[in-house]
Amino acid sequence: MADASTKRVPQDQPEDASANGAGSLEELRHLILAPEQEALERLHHRVVNPEARTEDVSSVVAEAIQLRREQGGSDALSEALAPTIETAVRESVRKDPTTLADALFPVMGPAIRRSILETLRSFLESFNQIMDQSLSVQGLKWRLEALRTGRTFTEVVLLHSLVFRVEQVFLIHKKTGLSLGHAVAPSVAMQDPSLVSGMLSAIQDFVRDSFNSAPGEGIERLNVGDLDVWVEAGPYAILACVIRGIAPRALRDTMAEVLENIHREYSAQLDRFTGDTAPFSAVNKELARCLEYKYKEGSKRKGYGYAWAAAGVLLLFVGGFFGWRWWQYRRWNNLVDTLRGQPGLVITSFGREHGRFSIRGLRDPLAPDPRQFVEKAGLDPAKAEFHWGAYYALDDAILQQRATQLLAPPHGVTLTVENGILRLAGQPSASWLKDLRARSLLVPGLSSVDFGRFAPEQMAFDQTKDDVQGVIIKFPVGTASLSAAERSSLRNLVPKLASLQNSAATLHQNLRLEVVGHSDATGAEGTNQSLSQRRADRVAWELLQLGFADSALHAKGVATAEPVRNEDTEENRQFNRSVTFVVKTSSSPQP
Amino acid sequence: MIQKKICMLGSFAVGKTSLVRRFVESIYSDAYHTTVGVKVDKKVVHHNGSEISLLLWDLYGEDEFQKMRWTYLRGTHGYLLVADGTRRNTLEKAFQLEQRVREEVGAIPFIFVINKADLIQDWQLDPAMESQLIARNWSILRSSAKTGENVDDAFSQLTRKMFP
Repeated sequence: MADASTKRVPQDQPEDASANGAGSLEELRHLILAPEQEALERLHHRVVNPEARTEDVSSVVAEAIQLRREQGGSDALSEALAPTIETAVRESVRKDPTTLADALFPVMGPAIRRSILETLRSFLESFNQIMDQSLSVQGLKWRLEALRTGRTFTEVVLLHSLVFRVEQVFLIHKKTGLSLGHAVAPSVAMQDPSLVSGMLSAIQDFVRDSFNSAPGEGIERLNVGDLDVWVEAGPYAILACVIRGIAPRALRDTMAEVLENIHREYSAQLDRFTGDTAPFSAVNKELARCLEYKYKEGSKRKGYGYAWAAAGVLLLFVGGFFGWRWWQYRRWNNLVDTLRGQPGLVITSFGREHGRFSIRGLRDPLAPDPRQFVEKAGLDPAKAEFHWGAYYALDDAILQQRATQLLAPPHGVTLTVENGILRLAGQPSASWLKDLRARSLLVPGLSSVDFGRFAPEQMAFDQTKDDVQGVIIKFPVGTASLSAAERSSLRNLVPKLASLQNSAATLHQNLRLEVVGHSDATGAEGTNQSLSQRRADRVAWELLQLGFADSALHAKGVATAEPVRNEDTEENRQFNRSVTFVVKTSSSPQP
Repeated sequence: MIQKKICMLGSFAVGKTSLVRRFVESIYSDAYHTTVGVKVDKKVVHHNGSEISLLLWDLYGEDEFQKMRWTYLRGTHGYLLVADGTRRNTLEKAFQLEQRVREEVGAIPFIFVINKADLIQDWQLDPAMESQLIARNWSILRSSAKTGENVDDAFSQLTRKMFP
């Protein structure tokens, strides 16, 4: 336009224009063209300057995309944008995966949940159904039928409990008979969809051809036994549903709707189709909408009753079994506790092994037979399995048995063990006692022997003591003088006293020898007292002379207080004119 | 997945079905030929690194009892034109069939297969016929469904022709 004006203007000017005229012409041109010139320059700037161009495009880019989509060219737009968006997404994930993860999080959770729920629901539904049927009388009948017909039980159950089920859906390209998509219900045996599609369209052609039907007409339904094939034809594609049972009319509407959707979404691809099914990869999801099914109402309710009853019985059995096992286990546990309380038995472990109750531990050869406890507890001894390791127990009861067995005490002698120390009771013979200490060392577990009064030293001491206490030194009437015979008796007594003293030292005893003077009952009491004291003193003095230690001697006169014999005869009275000895011991602190 | 519809064309008893049987594993019985006039089989072949499913429509060869159904040819991407080398009239019939296909669905890729190469001593190929064949400038293969000679080759050549 600018060009046109610049050309047009000089044509309007006279040929003989002066210099002045030229100047005013320029001015005129400026006046007329200035706004256009400026507009042109602005336009030029906008075209040449990338920043300005960016700004221009930015203000319309969103509207442009929207317009393009509305015009129906969404495929081209998507194709153009796809690589960029893919790269952008990849780049975003590479940079920071959390951004995309965060953005997708609210979508993914519900989607995953729905998918899992859907899977679980369909699994539970078919599982319930099969459980119900397999536990009922009808279920048994069906099982027989399955055996008879060679079908799987699941198949027979479905056949009887389904009102209908769409088993397979085929989408077939009308012109070529090639398979565009295929959806199949779970656990349905299927043939190659492309072959079935081919044959199905061949049969369509065959029928149409054979009966000279009008174009656009064709088979709408094929029926073989309880299998139905419903066919819905569109301009480019055919939808075929393989149905078992009697499907409701509404399924036709679903099929028509699905086919319409496919035609709307894929019209161009269907038209251009030359065998590449890649553009139809998403079509199976749409086809799956036709995979409808319906179970018989009655069979479901009835079935649940059986299932519940069966579950109850099963629970009872399982509960009873575990209860019984628990009770058995408790009884065995109690047995183990009893065994633990037995001397000479140590239980290290117990439990069930191959249906028997096994108890492991250590057993002293002298311990009671554990089998007797099994019988006492009312348990089957055949079910018990013992694994014992031998050991020597240190329980007093066992030690006592062991000592009795090994030391063989003579009749009338009993052995007891307390805290590992052997004690004797009864009247052991000196010969048996002789090397008891040495033999006791051979009894495992016995820490020592408490001989008590059966200690050889003690016995010797007691013997000597008895001897000493049996000695009576007699005096003539009214005197405290010793005869030669009595003096000799005293001399004989001294070695015994020395032996007593030695024994007492060995037994850690302090020895006290009381020299007791007596008098007969004749004579005055006062005289008798002094007489008996003198007699005692006399003997004590004599013993001192003979070398007996002074500290142990205690002389005392008891007059008639402790008569040696009753004075019923003269002979007996003689015995009371005497001195006797009493040996006393008291414990001395051990060194 | 790329699929191609391929038809087997030729006179009665030239060995179309035998060629297909040599080439594929099928799920349908041959009885379909006489009832519906076609049997569909499938063979997966590899071409340029991608898998291609060939859907073979084995069409019933025309005889006095049954006519060939041309509807089956609709949408086909290529075909194998089969003749019997021992029967001269089958070759002539093949020429007619090719012309008819061109009229029905246009010029589409095909391979001409002269079958029964195992009986080559009985072939009825005279020089006149040979010159006719040469003049047509077709892709021709000598095959034998009996020995398997060129069977795979016929199908792979056809596949190559469909993907120029």
